[in-house]
Amino acid sequence: MSDVLDITSTFDDLSRPTDAETERAVARFLHAEARILDREAYQEWLEEFIDEDIHYWMPDMETRNRSDPRGTFRYGDTAYFDDRISELRVRIARYNEPSAWADNPATRHMHQISNIEVFETDDPKLVAACSVFTNVRNRNETDQDVVYGRREDVLRRHGNGFRLCRRRIFIVQNVLLSKNLNTFL
Amino acid sequence: MCQGSCQGAANRPNMQPTYPQATAFPEFAALVNREKAQVDRRVFTDEAVYRAELQQIFARAWLFIAHESQVPNPGDFIRTTMGEDDVVVVRQRDKTINAFLNSCPHRGNRVCMVDAGSKARGFICNYHGWSFGIDGKLRGTDGKVYETDEAFEKSEIGLTPVARIASYKGLVFATFDPNAPDLTDYLGDFTFYLDIMLDNDEGGTEFIGGAIRSEIDCNWKLPAENFVGDILHAFWTHQSGAQAILGGGVDLGKRYDELAFQASVYGHGIETNLDKVGNTRTLGYPELVDYVFDLSERAVERLGELRARAIGAISSATVFPNFSFLPGQNTFRVWHPRGPNKIELVSWTIVNKNAPDHIKELYRKGVMMTFSPGGVFEMDDGENWEYSTRVNHGFVTRQQPLHYALGLGTEDKSRELPGHIHKGSLNDANQRLFYTRWSEFMEHDNWSDLQNGETASPKKTNIAAE
Repeated sequence: MSDVLDITSTFDDLSRPTDAETERAVARFLHAEARILDREAYQEWLEEFIDEDIHYWMPDMETRNRSDPRGTFRYGDTAYFDDRISELRVRIARYNEPSAWADNPATRHMHQISNIEVFETDDPKLVAACSVFTNVRNRNETDQDVVYGRREDVLRRHGNGFRLCRRRIFIVQNVLLSKNLNTFL
Repeated sequence: MCQGSCQGAANRPNMQPTYPQATAFPEFAALVNREKAQVDRRVFTDEAVYRAELQQIFARAWLFIAHESQVPNPGDFIRTTMGEDDVVVVRQRDKTINAFLNSCPHRGNRVCMVDAGSKARGFICNYHGWSFGIDGKLRGTDGKVYETDEAFEKSEIGLTPVARIASYKGLVFATFDPNAPDLTDYLGDFTFYLDIMLDNDEGGTEFIGGAIRSEIDCNWKLPAENFVGDILHAFWTHQSGAQAILGGGVDLGKRYDELAFQASVYGHGIETNLDKVGNTRTLGYPELVDYVFDLSERAVERLGELRARAIGAISSATVFPNFSFLPGQNTFRVWHPRGPNKIELVSWTIVNKNAPDHIKELYRKGVMMTFSPGGVFEMDDGENWEYSTRVNHGFVTRQQPLHYALGLGTEDKSRELPGHIHKGSLNDANQRLFYTRWSEFMEHDNWSDLQNGETASPKKTNIAAE
């Protein structure tokens, strides 16, 4: 039995879809999160959506031969994000500064989430959620950055809702076709 | 195999490698006005200038291509570029490292499609199955159809090797110019400063696995000049990042007037404040600061007191033309040109091989938090360089002068340090010398002039710190 909270663990048992009510609740959670991120309400995101034990990871994606045992990504190598709560707080502290020039004037954000699937795990408090995203950032007149990817989330049941405990983000780009990543995915 | 008597032998292609010849572009060299500390904006946007750069600079200069730790075993390889030329760097069976153009001599397709790999036996072109050994030699073609042609001479065909390849303390450099001076001559006295990063402890350095690649729509020289000597921008550009990590602004240390300086040799440059841990502190992990304090004490014996103070200090450096690093923050990066208006940035984290694992891990995370696309410092750099490039598409705008004149008259001949030394790190001196070096590459078609011009290290009788 793998520990789904371990950042290196894959969702190897996706045989138990949750009931429709849970699935709808998770979709509501992920859609609300996207809306909050579009608003750049990062403090609210941290407080209302993120678990204290968060592990938020986005590896760099390498182009490798199929036969290469190292694979496209590997935990412990270079990453875009490999954050716990303290690192997320530092990133958000920068966003909160008026001199965060990459965000001033404001970036126009759009997080689109779809292909949501939700599964039970061995821990009744945790559910596994797969989703895909399109993230569009547009700035100034014509500066536009688009990032596509997949996410593997573990959510903890929290009151009537959820908190994000673990997120693995796999973008489809090898070379990030953008100068920066001034958002969360 | 035909020995030359068969009908087709006389028309066999000459498959010898061809290395380009440099020429002289005095009109481009003049775009840098050394007298008036001005740079003409056409150096950032003009297509003809860019094409000249590929010929004069990127086809001639020694370029960083790999860290030895990226290819530890025979058959281990990485793909990179030298200028816009795709190159495969491969560890050979005799443990040396070689590098080849990543292009099949048959129809030109890439023979290596991946970023990296280990223990390869060779490279096979996907187009017609031409197969090359890790030594670059043609081993065979699919179905042996070519081999049955009597005029075909396999032994004359292979991947084009770089003209010269050499290492300096773990860093592998290559050049396409067979007449280039030795790497150590190209680096000149700048090795004195490279050692701050590369030789501050026994065992040398290694790269952490993987690399972050990103695109910035800017001219390659803007980030290169930024790292060669622009600590000034940190106060304004990076106020938000400094506030987030340190809870305050950038601080160059109490002994700035006495200690801070810029050094430049052949356009390579470093600015440092000798404040011991200012850069390391910005990674946000106190354990790293403790590590660098200890390291710095130990390193006095290897490097002398001055360079030991530089290991983690607020500082930055560029090796001409496009290879940069930050001591203490341990990011290494290459700004690969992709036309005058675009770069591909590839960045790595460097650590001392014998640093404890938890220290290496904190460097990995610290560099990610600061100098990667989502990092709190790098985040704010890209847009500056993009607009410093893009506005020059304005016909009138690009005819306006640019000001590179901070610190005129600050040359410091009293300090017994290698290179051109200027007082204070808040200075445009290194950037002026970076563009002077650029201008020398445009002006000269030979290495004798290139190595003996204004950017060469001034002759000094006694380097006390050595």
